[in-house]
Amino acid sequence: MAQAKSIDELTAAHKQVASALQSKFGRKFVESSTFRGELTYVVTPEDWHEALQYCRDAEELQFDRLDCLCGNHFPERAEAPLEVIANLVSIPYTTRVRVKTRLAEGQALPTVTDLWPSAGFDERETWEMYGIVFDGHPNLTRLLTVPDFEGFPLRKDFPLQGNVGGRIRWDFKGEI
Amino acid sequence: MSAPVEEHVEQPVSRPTLEELKERKEKSRQRVREDAEVLTVSMGPHHPSTHGVFRVDLDLDGEVIVATRPEIGNLHRGMEKLAEYRTYHQVIPLTDRLHYVASFAQNEGFCEAVEKLMGIEAPPRARFIRSMGHEMCRIANHLLWLGIHIMDFGAITFQQICFREREYMMDLWEMLCGARLTHSFCRIGGVAKDIPDGFEEKMRAAIETIPIRLREYDRLIRNNRIFLKRAKGIGIFTSEDCAAWRITGPALRAAGVERDLRKNEPFAAYPELDFEVAVEYDADVYARYLVRMREMYESCKIIAQCLDRMPDGPVLAEDAFHVIPAKKDVMRSSAAMIQDFVHVFRGPQVPPGEVYKAVETPHGELAFYIVSDGGPKPQRLRISTPCYYHCQATPALFEGEMLADIVGIFGSVDVCLGSCDR
Amino acid sequence: MGIADPRDPREIRDLSAALKKPSPIELQQTLERDEGQVPGVLTTTLEKVINFGATVSYWPLLFGLACCAIEMMACAGPRWDISRFGMEAMRASPRQADGMIVAGWVSLKMAPRVIRLYEQIPDPKWVLVMGSCATSGNIWDTYNIVQGVDALLPVDVYVPGCPPRPEALWQGLEMIRKRIREGKHGYDGMQTIPVRAAMGE
Repeated sequence: MAQAKSIDELTAAHKQVASALQSKFGRKFVESSTFRGELTYVVTPEDWHEALQYCRDAEELQFDRLDCLCGNHFPERAEAPLEVIANLVSIPYTTRVRVKTRLAEGQALPTVTDLWPSAGFDERETWEMYGIVFDGHPNLTRLLTVPDFEGFPLRKDFPLQGNVGGRIRWDFKGEI
Repeated sequence: MSAPVEEHVEQPVSRPTLEELKERKEKSRQRVREDAEVLTVSMGPHHPSTHGVFRVDLDLDGEVIVATRPEIGNLHRGMEKLAEYRTYHQVIPLTDRLHYVASFAQNEGFCEAVEKLMGIEAPPRARFIRSMGHEMCRIANHLLWLGIHIMDFGAITFQQICFREREYMMDLWEMLCGARLTHSFCRIGGVAKDIPDGFEEKMRAAIETIPIRLREYDRLIRNNRIFLKRAKGIGIFTSEDCAAWRITGPALRAAGVERDLRKNEPFAAYPELDFEVAVEYDADVYARYLVRMREMYESCKIIAQCLDRMPDGPVLAEDAFHVIPAKKDVMRSSAAMIQDFVHVFRGPQVPPGEVYKAVETPHGELAFYIVSDGGPKPQRLRISTPCYYHCQATPALFEGEMLADIVGIFGSVDVCLGSCDR
Repeated sequence: MGIADPRDPREIRDLSAALKKPSPIELQQTLERDEGQVPGVLTTTLEKVINFGATVSYWPLLFGLACCAIEMMACAGPRWDISRFGMEAMRASPRQADGMIVAGWVSLKMAPRVIRLYEQIPDPKWVLVMGSCATSGNIWDTYNIVQGVDALLPVDVYVPGCPPRPEALWQGLEMIRKRIREGKHGYDGMQTIPVRAAMGE
């Protein structure tokens, strides 16, 4: 793969990806940017599934792998504090792209487990850590913390040491 | 050496097409009966063969696995949350403890990601040391994997044998950075220390001995009837499955996909090194074994090249805003002391933005997604580890297989729960 | 819900209730000592022989959780070889084990399982806590990690380090063997283990 000359320049393959996405979704992108040779597109939650499906199925894109789907929380943004980010990889073309969407509190997003099964754990963890609900997910339950954990740990207003009052929980609700 | 050492013989590679592989997969898996009465067994977190505290609920119809429900999180530490409270320099020891068998590979991934974010580059000598360290980790990881994998199949001595070889690497790591296991050797802008005296001879001796020993083990395993019966044609996972379930690393290369981020998205000194990507086409447990053995041979070659071509120069970039200075300069130069003070008490200067950088660690593609708001601490650090997705793929890997085979299949995708749960 | 934060001065963990009554094993030893007609020297010699046997065949539960498990395996490997001390038989089943080497951090999810495994190990048992994470939580001062296994179960030996070298683990195991020779256990004087006492059972 040809290396970009400077760190912020896009490679030829990525320029093709940018033009393909721009021609299809140009008007619908809320924002598009490049930084350090990476493409980032922000879509509305309504276009989320369609955009990702196009990325996966289009001949010139072929983003056949969802590398990572995660969330983020910006409490300073009052109208849309939550964010879901999907990082996609194309194995045939060796390109990468990032698709993001911004959500309000309590707004749900359609699941992409029908496109990539690997989104299952990702979406579960995003719900567990931020409280973002994914409609249509087969199993939206606690993944990494105990099943009766209260709170969404990765939100900025959740304390690092937890809010159980102490760092050691004695009451295991009869699980022992 | 009195006996002639036989060269690593290249076997003629058969290349089944995707359709053939899918057919083989259908044939190798058992048919699940419609009216099956299912017994649920919990292969619990405490198990000698789950490579950590991994729990799978298996629904069994006799010996055939009907459904699987993996449960992870027994080692969840909240590393991503903790990283938001630490400066970028302080996150490096956290990344050590992800996949603790090959710590430096994680350090390097993180430092590469942060350097991409900051827009700086490590000096050439540091890049060669990083590649060398990465390959040392690869050898150490694959040796541990080999020992435990073959031990899972019943040949218990193999664990002891492979640990003997691993001790070479641990000694070298101790010489290089002081720690055997959790290295924390990479720094933003380079590596922590230069190569000490005596390291090169010891390293060359190690990479001469290790291929000889590997050939011995290969001879023991490769045509072993028991291993062939337990590994050939078992656990077929095609390239489509790998893409859908985000399986990377040796398991992906065993399915015929020539994807290795050291070649596709090079980092460290890999653009300047010659090596081959180990690819096999049968996509079963046996193919993954072959891929990892070849990777170990290639790693020895890469380390030899790194030592031969190591350029002179500093091991840390000269960049006061982004790099912690070398300790020997801190006590001797006032500029370095101020730099050290600022970096320790405040942190580096980072532009706002986000990056996603992936490196090829021994077990797959490890990616760091860093969002920066311009401060010295990350606003969000997402670590996308390969083992997380390998655990998630257990339903696809196990369903239809026989109970006795799942230990081998799970071992062949090389999972480490610290990396999975973060 | 009984919660204890050792840093909070208002909450004092009162484990004196656990310490007032003699433990079942002490009761049994008292009974044996009192009712036995054999002279003291034979009992003591018998105890010494049994303890010696236990010293050279301490079989820990195969319980490596995290990074320290790799160093534990290296200790069991050919270079440090705890097989010389009869310890290479790390049992997978707690019923067959003589104790636990808790190697790695314990999360909230894993804690009930650790306790259950501990209670399944038959008396006499000795616990060696390996690594800083199991001793005190190490750097993982987060919402999901128990800050020290001694909040859950009684510990005999702590081996700090991150990870401790195999030689350090070996020294810890030597201390365990000394405890075995002396016949002392972490739960001596306890009626229930700390977590059960704090839960009020």
